[in-house]
Order: sequence, then structure tokens, then C-alpha cells
Amino acid sequence: MTSLAAQLGRIVGDAHVIARATQLLVYRSDALPGLQRAPARAVFPGTRDELIEVVRVLAAAGAPFVSRGAGTGLSGGALADDITLLGLHRLKRILALDPIARTATVEPGVVNAALTRAGAPHRLHYAPDPSSQTACTIGGNIAENAGGPHCLKYGVTLDHAIRATVVLPSGEVVILDRGDVARDDGTQGGYDLLGAFVGSEGCFGVVVDVTVRLTPDPERVCTLLADFTRVRDAADATSRIIAAGIMPAALELMDQPTIEAVESSVYAAGYPRDAAAVLLIEVDGAAAGLDDDVWAVERLCRAAGARTVRVAHDAAERARLWLGRKKAFGAMGRVAPHLVVQDAVVPRSMLAELLDDIAAIGDRHRVRICNVFHAGDGNLHPNIPYNAHNADESARVHAAMTEIMTRCIAAGGTITGEHGVGLDKLPYMEQLFTADTLDAMCSLRAVFDPERRANPGKVVPVRACREWHGVASTRHGARAGETR
Amino acid sequence: MNSLVRFEPKTVTEVAESIRDAATRGRVLRLRGAGTWMDVGHAVQADAELSLGAFTGITSYRPEDLTLSAGAGTTLAELEAATRVHGQWCPLFPWGDDRGTVGATIATGTAGPFAAQLGRPSTLALGVECVDGTGRVIAAGARVVKNVAGFDLTRAVTGSWGTLAVITQVHLRLRSQPAVDETWALAATESTDATVRAFADGPFAPLGCERVSAPDARELGLGAARWLVRIGGNATLVAAARGAIRALGVAYEVDARTWNAIRQRGAPAARATLWRWDSLSSRLRERFDPARVLNRGLLGEVA
Ligand SMILES: Cc1cc2nc3c(=O)[nH]c(=O)nc-3n(C[C@H](O)[C@H](O)[C@H](O)COP(=O)(O)OP(=O)(O)OC[C@H]3O[C@@H](n4cnc5c(N)ncnc54)[C@H](O)[C@@H]3O)c2cc1C
Repeated sequence: MTSLAAQLGRIVGDAHVIARATQLLVYRSDALPGLQRAPARAVFPGTRDELIEVVRVLAAAGAPFVSRGAGTGLSGGALADDITLLGLHRLKRILALDPIARTATVEPGVVNAALTRAGAPHRLHYAPDPSSQTACTIGGNIAENAGGPHCLKYGVTLDHAIRATVVLPSGEVVILDRGDVARDDGTQGGYDLLGAFVGSEGCFGVVVDVTVRLTPDPERVCTLLADFTRVRDAADATSRIIAAGIMPAALELMDQPTIEAVESSVYAAGYPRDAAAVLLIEVDGAAAGLDDDVWAVERLCRAAGARTVRVAHDAAERARLWLGRKKAFGAMGRVAPHLVVQDAVVPRSMLAELLDDIAAIGDRHRVRICNVFHAGDGNLHPNIPYNAHNADESARVHAAMTEIMTRCIAAGGTITGEHGVGLDKLPYMEQLFTADTLDAMCSLRAVFDPERRANPGKVVPVRACREWHGVASTRHGARAGETR
Repeated sequence: MNSLVRFEPKTVTEVAESIRDAATRGRVLRLRGAGTWMDVGHAVQADAELSLGAFTGITSYRPEDLTLSAGAGTTLAELEAATRVHGQWCPLFPWGDDRGTVGATIATGTAGPFAAQLGRPSTLALGVECVDGTGRVIAAGARVVKNVAGFDLTRAVTGSWGTLAVITQVHLRLRSQPAVDETWALAATESTDATVRAFADGPFAPLGCERVSAPDARELGLGAARWLVRIGGNATLVAAARGAIRALGVAYEVDARTWNAIRQRGAPAARATLWRWDSLSSRLRERFDPARVLNRGLLGEVA
């Protein structure tokens, strides 16, 4: 019998299949530290047809697999535990770009920033801008429903996705849309299958190509930096700006440890080192009236206690202010060998309270928490630089993170706003959702992947899926009877 | 239809019980919000009507978060009144009128003239509480504006016309009312059509931009065929937008309430009769309502 690797090699060419353990080392992790899983083999299709054929061969073999874009995911979603890793980075063609309709159709391996570059000659860009945009792929973005600073005004990945061709784990190729495409009378004509697919973390199938909306570059952009002596005041300024009915393009908060990390790095952006927090605020849109919004933002920041408010005067200054923000994780990475990038969302009005609580949790567990996050959305990123090889420190980091998650859930928030559940957040799912809700999530997955071969074991804890009990084991005796 | 027994469960548990009971007996339930739009889609051969009449009222509203939760049976008019006093707006504003319920608006995914700028139901729904056709009580999403925890049941249920689950509560994203808000009417001719569309695609990003046909315009007292353009923002922006509109042709300001009249005339044709039943869609229905208890036949599925 031919090995699976050999069968796959026949489709993509032997050069694009890896089965040797030493060569597979680089695929043992994604951007989440402390978690490693070794794939059994890796296959890298170079064309759409190869991709579909690979999935069909895996289907015929009943083989589970994990899709992988750039591996920048922060929840362990792209890890393959002794199964096939399906790498998509070779599929990086922009298939179509229509400047009139303002859409682009791309293969899954196209890098986020490359799409924005392709739109530039037409004064268009791809709005969702994760901080990892120079590396992460559109396929990965679709799988994670990725966000980014400018998603406050422009919406997350789902809001920009129009249509996707997907190969289901069975090998069936389907086209998904929002159910209302080309229907301008206000009603839907189909289920929102694309809405269900986006954010499914590679568990529903593989993106073959996707058509996304491109956004016109704004007529004018203005970036402000406000600094505060208390983190609370920065959170308060955020609330005031939103309450005033101004919709900034971005509204990002960085606290003192983050500022320190950035300013000590090559990405130094000129943030005041003695500030307790800075807000990076961008206002954009039509040129007319933009200054009014800028003045209003400035006034509101000062009213909330800002020490200074600086307005970037030119593109270079703006770029520098943003570089610090976008490279903040990288800068933190220099403070210690490892960095946990955490992700949670709370109602905006609870930000100040939550930040106090997070600080207290950090003190209690003696860990250094750096907050850099999408304040306008209430999307927190409390990050902890640490040394994963130090068992005691790792335990304290873990304990602090667990407490922070529990606190966010108690505040009516959620455990992830953009990085996904993956493997990392599985333990919190049962805290956040009822048994019925988790079971319904399993049903949704079963619509796309009844055999659970795409990215198995991620997102929803296996034991939460009643249907599987009868199949997998009889240990949960009482519940096995509920099999349907 | 009038002779149908109607029952009105008071709690989510009662909803679940009645669905499980119907599934066991092979009965079909017709879901009912305010009952203003029961004639769309295919005929439902129902055994009973399940009314969401007991699930009314705003259950949570924190203006500083720009989010609101309400029982599915709450009317859009109630949401409008409750948010307006805080300078906010629930921009669902579907075609039809405001006597309809928020649950039905999300269930049917019905958008309106401001959807392109302010969001469709599928963008504005942050979460739903619902009971599916197997009686599972589902709480999907949360009162936060960004959320990727777990598979997205909210997106699956929104716009599914009550064929997957009965929505009992929704969590919504609100918008702030613009400081200045004006609606302008412009003569609609072949030559203005292109320029108005270009304006709408431009930097002023109007809240709404609709072409009103000649017969409709006459009935609304607007004379001949018109474009209605709604612009909102700070005073300087709106002044500039106003100037740009005037440059497109003879324009005059009209009462914002004109939109209410337009929206009633624009009630959508029943696209529910043109549902796409591909294999995934059938599987979705099968997983969430295997006994076809909910609105059986409404979307014309072949049993
Ligand atoms: C420094 C840094 C900053 C970041 N900033 C942000 C941010 O601001 N916002 C944000 O949202 N995220 C951010 N991230 C997280 C990450 O970049 C995103 O989740 C991104 O979308 C992952 O893309 P990827 O190509 O690297 O996917 P991978 O990590 O390779 O995979 C992620 C998941 O997607 C699935 N997948 C990948 N490709 C496909 C496909 N074609 N079809 C189906 N499933 C697929 C995988 O199975 C996996 O579950 C950041 C990460 C880093 C390291």
C-alpha cells in the first residue's frame, strides 16, 4: 500500500511534501508560545486543483488534517498533532481586482498587506488590518475572522467578505455567500453560510479562494496621541469620544509597560515614557469637517485628564506613531524570551474597572502585564512577557491569565475578540457557554464537516458534543443515550 | 389561518417544551412576532401558532456601550423611542414599518434604506438567544461588539426565517445619532442617476440614498421621480455635503419622516419564495430542526 505522503507527493510533487521529523520541526508551533504539536507530514499544494485533489485524497483515506496559512495565529489553531498539515502559503495569487466594483478575489495564501498594496494604485485598500498584516494570510484571516485597529470604524473580516469557494473536508467544493448577495430588495435568499464559515478556525473546510471588498482610501487622515497620568483616565476618554458620536477609525490604548517596551526598542515612536497610558486615535473620512472631529477628540481627551494631545503633522510622523503600536508585540518580545498575547472583550463602559482588576491580578501573581489594545471596541490584550522554561514563572503566568479570563466572563464579556479559541482557550468554553449552546456549535460544525476531520479537537471541547459520545466512547454513560 | 390555536409561552423553558412536544407529535409550529408580515414566503401548513408576544421589552441597555438587548417580541417603535432619548439609534429600520418586532427583523434578515452605511441585520446582531427545532436553548454571542468565541450561531440564525430556531432575545449594536441630519430630494432623471450614485460612493458616504419612482413620489407629495439623500455628521461635513448635492441638480430639503413613508412603500417582495436549497442549506436545516417543526414549508423546501 502506498503511504499517504507518497500519494500526496504524486499530486503536488515530492518536493512539496515533508515527512521527515527534522524538517517538520518548524511547523510544530504557531505564534502562541508554550504549545507544540508535531505534524505527521506536511503538504503544500501550489494550485487550486492540487489543493482540491489533496483534500479528496485525505477524504478517501479518512485522514484528519489542519490547514495552515502563515502560522501567525495566537491560539494554537494551526497546530497538527501527528496528523497532516496542509500548508497554503504557495497559493498566493490575486486572481482578480475590480477597481470599479471595489472587490478582489484572492487565493488563501495571499498576505494581508500584499492585497492592500495591490489596491494602492486605485486608491483602495483592504480594511481589516491585524498587527500581523505583513505576514498573515487572507485565508488565516477568514478562518479567524481577524480584526485590527481600523476595524473599529470599518468592521472586521466578516464585514468585508463577499463570497468564498471552499473545499469541504469531504472533497466537495462549495461557494458560500451571505445569503443576500445581489439582492437589493432587503431580503435574504439563503442561509448566511459564509457568516457561519468565517471565524470557524479551519474546522469547516479549506478556503480555496475568497472575494473581498476593498475600501476607498479616505480623503484625509489625522492621527492624535494623547497621554495620561492614570490608565483610568485614558479609558474614560475612550468612552467620552464614543459617547459624543464620533467614530474614530482607530482608538488604541497602550499602558506604561507597553510604552516602555516600545520606547526601548528599534520601534521607538516618541511616546512619553512617564505616561501611565497613551491613546492613539485616528480620525479619517471626508476632508470637510474632519478638523471639527479632531478638535472634539482633543477637547474630550483633555476633559478626561490628558496631559498633552499631539497631532501628527505629516505622513512620516503618523507612520512613526503607528509603527510603535503595530510592533508593540515585537517590542515586548525583546523583554523576555516568550510572550503570551491575550485577547478578551468586555463592554466598553467596564474598561477602566477591568484594567484596575487586571493590574491587581498581575501584582498578586508577580507577573508583568503589558496592555495594548483596541479600546474603542473594548477588546483587551493583556500581554505577559515571561520565560516559558521557568516552571514557576509559567505557572504564575497561567494562573494570572485564568483569573483575567474569568474576570472578563464575569463582566459580561467574551474570551476572544479576534485571536480565536484554537487549543488555547478550550478550557474556558464551558465557562462561557451552556451545554446546549456548545452542542449546537457541534451541530453547526457537522453541517460542514460531519466526520470532524478538519482541525479536530479545536474550538469546542470534544466532550461538549453529545452526538459524539455514542461514537467515541461509552465512558459518559448517562449521556450516551442522548445520541442523535 | 385564523382558526389556528395560538399559544404564547411565557419562558424560554416553555418554548423549548412546546417545540419538543410538537416534534414528538409530528406537529408544525408557525412562529409569530407582531403578525404584520405573515403572508410572505410559501404557505405554512401549521398545526398551531407560537407567539413571541410574551418576550417583550428592553432587557438591558447601557447607552455608554452602544448596545442593547431586547425580547424578540419588542417592536421597532419601542426601540426607536428608547434609544432616541439617549441620542442613539437602532438603525435596523427595515423595509415595512415600525410595528414589526425586532425578533422578526433579525429572523428574516430584513434590511432597509440605511443598511449599506449603518449595517444590515447580520452586522447589527451581536447575539441571539433562541430555541432550536430540537428544543436546545441556545445563547449565542454576547453584549460586546467584537466576539469570535466559538462557532457563529448568531450568523446562522440571523436571516433563517425561523426555520432553524425561535429567537427569544437579541443583542444589538446601536449607533449614535449624527449631530446634524438632513434629507434632500433631487429630481431623478437619467442624467442625475449616474451622478447621484457617484456621490453616494464618494467621501460623503450618505446614510441613505434611494430612488423614488414617479408614482410613489406623487403619492408622497414629492412630485416626479426623486432621489432621496440623507446626510449626517458634524455641521461642517453636512454643509459641504449639502453643497455637493446642490451641485448635482435642483435640490430641496424634505422632512426626515419621508423615510418612514418610503420604507412602507418599499416593503420587499417575498424573496423567501426563492430560497436556495443547496446541500449545505438542507443539512443545516436537518441539524437544527430535523422534525421540521418550525415554519415548515415557508421557504419552499422539498420535504
Ligand atoms: C505580532 C502579531 C500580531 C497580531 N495581531 C493581530 C490583530 O491585530 N488582529 C487579529 O485578529 N489577529 C492578530 N494576530 C493573530 C493572527 O495574525 C491572525 O489570527 C491571522 O488571521 C492568522 O493568519 P495566518 O495566515 O497566520 O493563519 P494560521 O496561524 O496559519 O492559521 C490560523 C487558523 O486558520 C486556519 N486556516 C489558515 N488558512 C486557512 C484556509 N485557507 N482555510 C481554512 N482555514 C485556514 C488554521 O487552520 C488555523 O486554525 C497577530 C499575531 C501576531 C503574531
